[in-house]
Amino acid sequence: MKFGLFYELSVPRPWTRESERTVYNNALEQVKLADELGFDQVWAVEHHFLEEYSHCPAPELFLTACAMTTKRIRVGFGIVVCVPEFNHPIKIAERTAVLDILSGGRVEVGTGRSATWTELAGFNASPDVTKKSWDEFVRCLPRMWTSEKFEFEGEFWSMPRRTILPKVYQRPHPPMWVAVTSPGTELDAADRGLGSLGLTFGQFAEQEKRIAEYRRRVQLCEPVGEFVNDQVSTVNFLYCHEDDAIALKTGRQMANHFNYLAAQLMSVRETYPSKSYPSLGLLPQLRRQATGPDASEQAGEGLCLGGPERITRALKRWEACGVDRVNFLINTAESIPQAEVLSSLRLFAKEVMPTFNGGKC
Amino acid sequence: MPIFGELALETIAGALPVVKDLDTEAWELPKAEILQVAYEIADGTRALLPRALHPAIPEYVTFVVTRYPESPVGPFNLAQVRLMARAGVHPRGYVLGTVASSAAAVAALRERWGYPAVAGEIALRRYHDRVRAVVRREDRAILELALVDPEIVSGSDLQYIHSVTLARVDGAAQLIQVDPHYTLHQASRGRAEVTSFDAAAWSAALVELTTPISASTSVCDTDLPRIRFVMDPETPVIRGTRKVR
Repeated sequence: MKFGLFYELSVPRPWTRESERTVYNNALEQVKLADELGFDQVWAVEHHFLEEYSHCPAPELFLTACAMTTKRIRVGFGIVVCVPEFNHPIKIAERTAVLDILSGGRVEVGTGRSATWTELAGFNASPDVTKKSWDEFVRCLPRMWTSEKFEFEGEFWSMPRRTILPKVYQRPHPPMWVAVTSPGTELDAADRGLGSLGLTFGQFAEQEKRIAEYRRRVQLCEPVGEFVNDQVSTVNFLYCHEDDAIALKTGRQMANHFNYLAAQLMSVRETYPSKSYPSLGLLPQLRRQATGPDASEQAGEGLCLGGPERITRALKRWEACGVDRVNFLINTAESIPQAEVLSSLRLFAKEVMPTFNGGKC
Repeated sequence: MPIFGELALETIAGALPVVKDLDTEAWELPKAEILQVAYEIADGTRALLPRALHPAIPEYVTFVVTRYPESPVGPFNLAQVRLMARAGVHPRGYVLGTVASSAAAVAALRERWGYPAVAGEIALRRYHDRVRAVVRREDRAILELALVDPEIVSGSDLQYIHSVTLARVDGAAQLIQVDPHYTLHQASRGRAEVTSFDAAAWSAALVELTTPISASTSVCDTDLPRIRFVMDPETPVIRGTRKVR
């Protein structure tokens, strides 16, 4: 099992000239430490207009900064929005290739389509067709990275024959993933030979079932890229402290903070009836995890909040469910002081990591 | 922490409906027809929203026009303008204005659920290419809106967000959660169109419509339920909520 960090880059009000800079600088310090401690990946979201919840509209820039200050940790787009009003596919291919070169082949490319009215309407994009445009994009990207010349005539974009430069550093190309929030999207990932980048916590039983179906289906896939990425990744909160009670209290504060900010956003489904968004997506599911009935006495099932033993137990369960990677949210809106976040990472690396993969990430 | 509403309660305290008893009995409301239109609005409506609530991001309103063919006070139509918000982590529609088509409905809505209801005429009509509603008071249209080019969707594609009214209960202003149940039989969606909106007539003078979001219509069995929660309008709901039952 591999471990990573997952960044929304939330910035609490009141906003000052320095507050966003502090959040970014703290995150970079955390990533640098995570690299030294043996964490395997860092992921950054692409979100727009999501006040306080996420001030991370340009993950490629943050990830470049991460890559330039680290040696081994992989840098992941978690995700890049595959909707033409947000990102032109040529620019996605170019940006990811440049970062792959600069990082020495450490890029992972998560793909997705946005789940909020706030963002989609902000770019004047129709929620009804985001899945179609995502599908078109993910089928093009590997060919844009690997073909010397590329041309395309599609429903959402077209281009005449050109050489898209530069080419990615990894051969044949970086691993590709799909953000999975709505049930069923993991099957879209499997059918295309893409990794399942889970962004919901879910419960063990539900996740185990979904992962098993993903595993079965990915065996039969027609990969959109030149290889199959059959890994399953999930997201979790992490706060590790020798004292379970302190860890739970601090960790739950962070989780509740996250959920509170997430709840302020306007999901597509809240106001725009569309078959394209059959579930409420990330936000309500997160809410249930930290504020649902099982969360009042203890952390939600499988959350990595607690002492090393408790966290190890939770991760063993996730491992048994078939999860290959766990990406951690380690702070929200700076609710945990930076020194404590760094201590939590150190303790996790010292006491929990060695239990997995023979101590190697 | 997200920003809060900034309603100065004293500016409307004298006009609040008075709820006599929170032990309100539920009304079953079968075969209701609902037209809902959502619209983004310009910033600057925080002065309309109680301090307990957070404005939605982006700010928006919903217009909800409902025909109730059966109710304990006979058939009536109801129109609401709601400023959409968050009560803690829950999406809610804060009711700015309400028009009901019968005097009995007006009285019951005010006394039992705290709706700021006034009497008016409400027409809800289906055409081949649209579902249109017109609300009139004192011989003047104060709201004209439509769902244009309806297409059938699954009932599960619609989400109705619960309402919050502001009323006087036992001498004090309270937010009252009104959380109906819905069993949907038909559902459609379409383009939102508002051709006239007299914001002041809905106690919504600061509301300026900007961008249409969506329109939906449904036929459903619903209710006006027993009151379950009330909230202090001046305190964040995470601390100021009281469970009635």
